[in-house]
Amino acid sequence: MKLSSKIFTALMFVFLFAPIVIMLIFSFNASRSLSVFSGFSFKWYVELFNDGDTLASVKNTLILAVCASVIATTMGTAAAVGIDKLRNRYVRAALDVTTNIPMVNPDIITGISMMFMFVFVSQLFGFANSLNFGTLLIAHITFCLPYVILQVLPKLQQMDPALPEAAMDLGCTPWRAFWKAELPELMPGITTGLIMSFTLSLDDFVISYFTTGNGFQTLPIRIYNMTKKTVTPKMYALATITFFVILALLLLSNLADSEDSRRLRAARRAKRAARRAIRAAKRAEKAKMPMSARTRKLLYTCGGAAALIAVIVAVASLHDGDALVLNVYNWGEYISDGSEGSMDVIEEFEDWYEAEYGQKVKVNYTTFASNEDMYAKLASGAVSYDVIIPSDYMIARMIEEDMLLPLDFDNIPNYEYIGEDFRGLYYDPDNLYSVPYTYGIVGIIYDANVVDEEDTGSWDLMWNEKYAGQILQFNNSRDAFGTAMYSLGLDVNSTDTAVWDTALTELLSQRSLVKSYVMDEIYNMMESGEAAIAAYYAGDYFTMADAQADTVDLQFYYPERTNYFVDAMCIPSCCQNKELAEIFINYMLSQEAAIANAEYIWYASPNSLVYENEDYIDEMGQEAMEILYPEMESFSALYNQYAYRNLSDELLDYINTLWETLKIN
Amino acid sequence: MRDTSTRRRERLVGLMTRGPYELWAVLFILVPLVFTAYYAFTDDSFAFTTENITKFFTATSVVEGSGTVHTYLLILWRSLKLAIISTVVCLLLGYPLAYIISRASPKAQKIMMTFIMIPMWMNFLIRTYAWMTILQDTGILNNLLNALGLGTVHIIGTETAVVIGMVYDYLPYMVMPIYSVMAKMDDRLLEAARDLGCSGSGVLRRVVLPLSMPGVINGITMVLIPSVSTFYISQKLGDGKFFLIGDAIEGQYTANNLHFAAAIAFILMVLLLAAMMLMRRLTNKKVYGGT
Repeated sequence: MKLSSKIFTALMFVFLFAPIVIMLIFSFNASRSLSVFSGFSFKWYVELFNDGDTLASVKNTLILAVCASVIATTMGTAAAVGIDKLRNRYVRAALDVTTNIPMVNPDIITGISMMFMFVFVSQLFGFANSLNFGTLLIAHITFCLPYVILQVLPKLQQMDPALPEAAMDLGCTPWRAFWKAELPELMPGITTGLIMSFTLSLDDFVISYFTTGNGFQTLPIRIYNMTKKTVTPKMYALATITFFVILALLLLSNLADSEDSRRLRAARRAKRAARRAIRAAKRAEKAKMPMSARTRKLLYTCGGAAALIAVIVAVASLHDGDALVLNVYNWGEYISDGSEGSMDVIEEFEDWYEAEYGQKVKVNYTTFASNEDMYAKLASGAVSYDVIIPSDYMIARMIEEDMLLPLDFDNIPNYEYIGEDFRGLYYDPDNLYSVPYTYGIVGIIYDANVVDEEDTGSWDLMWNEKYAGQILQFNNSRDAFGTAMYSLGLDVNSTDTAVWDTALTELLSQRSLVKSYVMDEIYNMMESGEAAIAAYYAGDYFTMADAQADTVDLQFYYPERTNYFVDAMCIPSCCQNKELAEIFINYMLSQEAAIANAEYIWYASPNSLVYENEDYIDEMGQEAMEILYPEMESFSALYNQYAYRNLSDELLDYINTLWETLKIN
Repeated sequence: MRDTSTRRRERLVGLMTRGPYELWAVLFILVPLVFTAYYAFTDDSFAFTTENITKFFTATSVVEGSGTVHTYLLILWRSLKLAIISTVVCLLLGYPLAYIISRASPKAQKIMMTFIMIPMWMNFLIRTYAWMTILQDTGILNNLLNALGLGTVHIIGTETAVVIGMVYDYLPYMVMPIYSVMAKMDDRLLEAARDLGCSGSGVLRRVVLPLSMPGVINGITMVLIPSVSTFYISQKLGDGKFFLIGDAIEGQYTANNLHFAAAIAFILMVLLLAAMMLMRRLTNKKVYGGT
């Protein structure tokens, strides 16, 4: 190799491995930050191994990738052989185009169109819960197939056509000729196809997101859904472990490949070849075996393969025997999950239920990234959930569309602990459909080392030209428009498009000052001092302040008009076991679970068992209590005035157009 | 007699090999497309309409500095531009890399190819996150430059950052197909060309390049498509200021405008499919029809 080539190659590998080194370093970070290193610690590895949900999603991802890549490779290789033999030009051209479609189709299109189809078919046949492991597997096989075919087909075309003929002349049946002569030639293509399928399946989240249902969440989906609460170094720890496992496998295979063993193996291979030749000669006689027998043999093989796959699938989707199943759908990172010594609420519920009722229960806990994503999934009618935790305006919409069931409060006696101020709110005026879970207020976070005290106090800070390039704005339309409308004193639920136009003008005037439109990126940017001003949900301020760099001093205040929100537990109309769902909701309101959740999420709790509890108040500290539970005359009055309400489809469409205008400017 | 039995056998072999795939392709590749088209050409009450398609080509908005523009055509153009830049960079980096690897010893080849694939086994969302840490104004790269006394560079939020993210994520998809073609290239062919008086660059241009063309085409397809439709990379590394066609589809989907989302998807799909078919046809002629 020439020196220049060496340098080039080295640089490319530095490029490819730079982020991996970063992951490796930050997986040992003592704090939660992904950009500020504050000391060495193994704690994220401990966390990872205590996090059953993440490990389960890793297992799901692996099962799916293995099944999808093996099936796709088998079917794809067979298809390539068939296509190669195909003489009809038109059929072949049609197959070529079809094979190319999943490759030239962006994954978001593949995902959406498959979802359309699955939903349509399930409605046609009245399946209740049609999006599941099966649909996910079908989708993955479909996008893997072309890669296999396009790897194997060129190998077939390069192959000497005399090869199978020679084998057959030597007495092989066509099947044996393929197996013994052709297949080894195809092996490099098949292997590459298999590895590519496996890799693609492992990494996909867009297609999976659209085609999966309640019980089966893969790792990429889990990570994507962390967008409200941010990714932790735990995921870096997982990546680091993956890296070392692969490296170890690599070293092992290299050891096995050392010179000596290779010579040994060459000898063995020669011996085997000789034996094979003898056997082939013997088979020559059997070549007269009648067609039907040969076909039968082939069918047995196919049948065996199919049975094997069926077993894999069955094992993969196995539930614990006769356990009851409860499907819960919640925001990412929105429940106490046992990390950092907290309570694992889901696991505790399962244990408690079994002790109390003598029956096993399995909670399938899955997450969503936004109210709208959750709504789209439920509206499709192809999933089934028992408990969901959306936000207020979405609850209003779902009640209006008959998508929620009235609760039986006899099963939820703990409802009595919900504060008076959190009952009868606009979205559920008669307290029929929902039980509040958390609430919060949007405030402004700023870096006191950059921002002058006198500039703070109102929304004007986010429009202050002094801080151009250091301001963060929400990357979702409702919240971004909200900041402009609260700032101007406009009604955030106005049905007058002119009001929204005014808000757009305000946002356009801010655009040149905005460093970045963010959701969970806000954590990294505020902690590291990359940005100095941002509006976000109150509780999250503490998470950021906790991990801030030495040069950063984060502070927080509420502007005069701002957003108040409530997220509440509801039972959707697709619920399969309503009583169990109500028992779960009641459990979530019990003191132990409610405090654990409040301490984990850092949002305010509407549950008097929490906000009146001395231990909880001590644990949170005075500053946190003052910010999370600010003094106010009446929460419900402010809430009903300022909270987001459900808007009509036409208006949402209009706002979306305005949002696009803002984003392309 | 013999003819019919051969033909029957061929048909049976065809049925056994292609059959399952053909069935699968119809059910899970073609039928979903029909659904996309169906949604694209209907309104909320599923009555036929071309309104969604026309909207894509006619919707306008006002952009500071350039006046009234066609919203979706502009978004499409920006997505294509970024995707093409990324693909070209991937090709410029990936092609020589694949060549160097394919000329190394078998053992080195195996190791280097594995190392190219290793990053792909770590979740790409997480890897993109790591790039944020590197490229930020207060990030690793700038700290490094500062320590060396080279000042700072502002990368995050620029087109460069988005391109870096895309090139990083998709480079292996360029290297792999090119490498797999080059690895099979006969060394003697290159020697022969040299013996016949070809210069170093001549060998590259007249022998290596035409022979590796199928790999290049595959590589371009595998990089171009995901980079046209990505929205995660541009969100994380582009400071949320790049609104690409993937964002537009996702935005319409979340705004519950399934039919318009389908229309954008449909147009993009037709466009990409046509481009790919055209490219394949052109290069096929060059490769096999040329010399």
